[in-house]
Amino acid sequence: MAAAADVRDMLDLPAESQPRPHKKQKVVEKRPEGITRELYALLGERAPPIAINENKYKGRPKLLNKLRVRQWRMSPFTNGARSDGLVLNHWQRKHEGARQPAPEGTQMDVDVDGTKEEGKEDTKPLEQEYTFAKYNVKAQLPRRYTDDEYSRHLRNNEWTREETDYLMDLVADYDLRWVLIADRYEYQPRMDSEPEGNAIVPAKTVRTMEHMKARYYFIAATMLAIEHPPSEMSEAEFEWHEKMLKFDPNRERDRKELAALQLNRTADEVREEAMLLEELKRITSNEQSFISERRELYSRLEVPVSVGNTAMYQSSQGLSQLLQTLLQADKSKKRRSILGPDGAVASPAAGQTPTQAGGPVSRGDTPSANAAASAANNNNKKGPAVPPTQPVVRQLTAAEESRYGIQHHERVTAGVQFRSDRAQKLTQAKSNVQTQKLAGALAELEIPVRLFMPTERVCKDFEKLIQSVNVLLEARKVSEKVESEIRVLEASKAERERKAREAAGETTAADPENPEVKTEAEDGTGVLGSTAEAAGSGGEKGEGGDGKNAAEAAKDDGKHKRSASVLSAVSDKSNKRQRR
Amino acid sequence: MNPSNPPQAAEYGGDEVSAIVLDPGYSTTRAGFAGEDAPKSVIPTYYGKYNYEGQERLVFGDNMFVQPRAGISVHNPIGKDGIVEDWDMAEKVWEYSFASRLTATKPENPFHNGLNDISSEELPAEMEVETDEKPLADTPLLMSEPGWNPAKAREKTIEIAMEKWGTPAFYLARNGVLAAFASGKASALVIDIGASNISVTPVHDGMILKRGVQHSPLGGDYISSQIRALFKKNSPQPITITPHYLISSKTAVEAGQPPQANYRTFPADRAPDASYRALQEERTLAEFKECVVQTWPGPNKLSGPGPTGISNEELARSSPGRPFEFPDGYNQVFGVDRFRVVESLFDVKAAIPDPDSPVPAPTQAQTLPEVIKASLAGVDVDIRPHLLSNVVVTGASSLVYGFTERLNQELMTLFPGPRVRVSAPGNTSERRFGSWIGGSILASLGTFHQMWISKKEYEEHGANIVEKRCK
Repeated sequence: MAAAADVRDMLDLPAESQPRPHKKQKVVEKRPEGITRELYALLGERAPPIAINENKYKGRPKLLNKLRVRQWRMSPFTNGARSDGLVLNHWQRKHEGARQPAPEGTQMDVDVDGTKEEGKEDTKPLEQEYTFAKYNVKAQLPRRYTDDEYSRHLRNNEWTREETDYLMDLVADYDLRWVLIADRYEYQPRMDSEPEGNAIVPAKTVRTMEHMKARYYFIAATMLAIEHPPSEMSEAEFEWHEKMLKFDPNRERDRKELAALQLNRTADEVREEAMLLEELKRITSNEQSFISERRELYSRLEVPVSVGNTAMYQSSQGLSQLLQTLLQADKSKKRRSILGPDGAVASPAAGQTPTQAGGPVSRGDTPSANAAASAANNNNKKGPAVPPTQPVVRQLTAAEESRYGIQHHERVTAGVQFRSDRAQKLTQAKSNVQTQKLAGALAELEIPVRLFMPTERVCKDFEKLIQSVNVLLEARKVSEKVESEIRVLEASKAERERKAREAAGETTAADPENPEVKTEAEDGTGVLGSTAEAAGSGGEKGEGGDGKNAAEAAKDDGKHKRSASVLSAVSDKSNKRQRR
Repeated sequence: MNPSNPPQAAEYGGDEVSAIVLDPGYSTTRAGFAGEDAPKSVIPTYYGKYNYEGQERLVFGDNMFVQPRAGISVHNPIGKDGIVEDWDMAEKVWEYSFASRLTATKPENPFHNGLNDISSEELPAEMEVETDEKPLADTPLLMSEPGWNPAKAREKTIEIAMEKWGTPAFYLARNGVLAAFASGKASALVIDIGASNISVTPVHDGMILKRGVQHSPLGGDYISSQIRALFKKNSPQPITITPHYLISSKTAVEAGQPPQANYRTFPADRAPDASYRALQEERTLAEFKECVVQTWPGPNKLSGPGPTGISNEELARSSPGRPFEFPDGYNQVFGVDRFRVVESLFDVKAAIPDPDSPVPAPTQAQTLPEVIKASLAGVDVDIRPHLLSNVVVTGASSLVYGFTERLNQELMTLFPGPRVRVSAPGNTSERRFGSWIGGSILASLGTFHQMWISKKEYEEHGANIVEKRCK
């Protein structure tokens, strides 16, 4: 490609915009060996499923044949880990650097014995560090004490100097492998070193591994302390020193006894232990599963923390909106749907959230109701929102419904309501006077304004009572009005009769208008008179004021309406009086 | 992998110095080059001695089986306890083991090998020089020894190797350690079921624990003696073993019928010694052990109750028997008896009594479980569980059918607490040559070459160096 680019460059042709399409590669299946070309052509593209070619020795790959044979030769080597310079021979590939002339090598191969010394001389410069010499490692041991140090620091009644030396030699020989040291420990006190006078040969003490360890650790710790006083020790050294000083052979011996006991348990003991272990495993696994189950349960019970204001969900629109958003979220999650294929609530767990939105209301209504009833209740309350087709819902008979205090509301008002409040509300009339009248009527019936037991039925009855009281009050108002009208009319009739008598006596009538006004005035006084009567019987103080007011009002406009209200107020009092 | 590339030495840690590994045993002596997977030369340790034209002649190796020479007697340089008794002969047998196959065909300088010589009168002098050369002059030698080999025997061994064979480097390793190496373990409890001995060797970090080494004479030869005792009491008729060399022809007979064979007879002055016949009989017995003898696999002893209430002996009786045909054509199916002959390795009461036998009756302390127990009692308690989880079984007699299962069972009943794990190679040659293979591995390791006792060191320190170096 480079050449083509160069040519283009020279000829000032624009550089190739796109790489050339690849040459079509001829797909030629390689003819397997052992099939003739003709046969292969007959076979077509499809090769037979079984291999026809026979196995035969392939020989060395051609590439290798072309290479020169790399020579191996038996070459002597010494081991750096040895002190005696033992020369052993091993096969090594001859290096190609022609450091060793080939003819000499061949000669060596032929004449091994004769030229052995010579070969050694030759290979000497070639030799490098023996590969395996680096693995020759020894355990790190403390410096051997001097006589002076021994007599000053390491004297011990139980150990002679010779035996200590023997121990230290063994430790060095076996690289601190205590099992081996204890196994090979065969110290025999030398007789000739014993003083002649001391004829009693000390009984051969049996040294246990713990004795040896204690002695060695003491020596090692002391030597360490001589080398570096404890104040100058590095942390690791100090730790080491402490550990060695603290070695307690008795404790070690006890431990070994226990280990032996443990090892020599009988089959029954082993079985029992295995059983106990199995039991323990079972218990712990049970506990684990119990804990996990409980955690799951808690996580189910945990109410999702409400974020922000719940006021928006207190209306039915808010609720339906919430449901919509939940459904949407559910759909977008594409997980288990809240609603089944037929729109039913799929599982109680999924349907939980909407249920809980209306929860507090229903609980306020029926705190003692059982779970099924309350669920039914909830569902009924949310009639339009969630169809109550939950399979767990039981249809209740009317008796049961009343027993459980289940109500069916046409419309639910938002928020919490108390039944007693509703009852209370009934006693509040539009006007204060009316309210007082109602209260008066209730007091007369000896029913408290605030109900003691505002149960459903009590409330209903109370409602009826209030209604009938209202009706009664209305009726009384009407009757009083009618009565007063009758009285007025009677009074006017008596007036007319008197006038007629007077007219019959002196003049019949001066002005048609005047008698009207007079009637009015008299009407008022008549009322006044009746109130005075009532006041007199009631023995109240402000009846005079009342009467004056009424009289004034009657004088002011003389309208029926006003008079009616006055009348009603008066009639209330009279009513009271009557009841009393 | 390209065959022309050498393996990276660091990969396997090997560095072969063409050492010879010699693993002498009571029954066979194994020799071969280190780094190979089986010994090239396996010869019987027994040798034959006979008189030929007034001269005492020796015959080694398999040659003695070929021809029953006149008056041949068979001897073993190694004593019953596995320690060499006859050092001169032991040296000869061992030398034969490697010289016959491994070192004798050494290419010689064509100028000196005599073939190209013109002057024939100089030839004898040349030959004299040649024969003087020591057989191992340029080959390091690794030898094995039993764990209870006394110091004197060890010193004698290095003397032979250094002075008679002229090896430049020598090492003496315990066969227990080598068997542990063969199964790739540096620490193991090696149970070696040999011909004359069974031995238990605790090995820790590649060294034996001397106080734990135990051996007892209930090896393959003891099993042979049990088989002989069984044959004497055989029910239709006592069986006499007639070795192959005494049979000239035979005809097939029905099972249990007396044999019909023509026997070869030797004149009294030319007849081989009784020891020769005993050795030949031993070969037949070895065949019998391979084909018929079976160890009751457990659980429990053969005489004990089985798991389902039926006694183990009944169970064994119900299993189909195994036929065996003797060289003289006599054949019989062996039923429960084939379990009995090895049972006394585990249960001393099951031994078949034979007052005439030269082999003394076993004692309780000689049985394998007791030996193992004694061995473990001799080692530190901390490593006992480790040893029990690394039990290595080796030795040709452990190839008796069902042996390792039974051993496993016995160990589990002896030590119910710790985990017991018996590792026995399934390959027959690995089991037979366990310690040789371990020696082959050891002597071809690059790191081992610092361990050799060189000729120079031997000359400096004397034979005692073997005690210091081969610990």
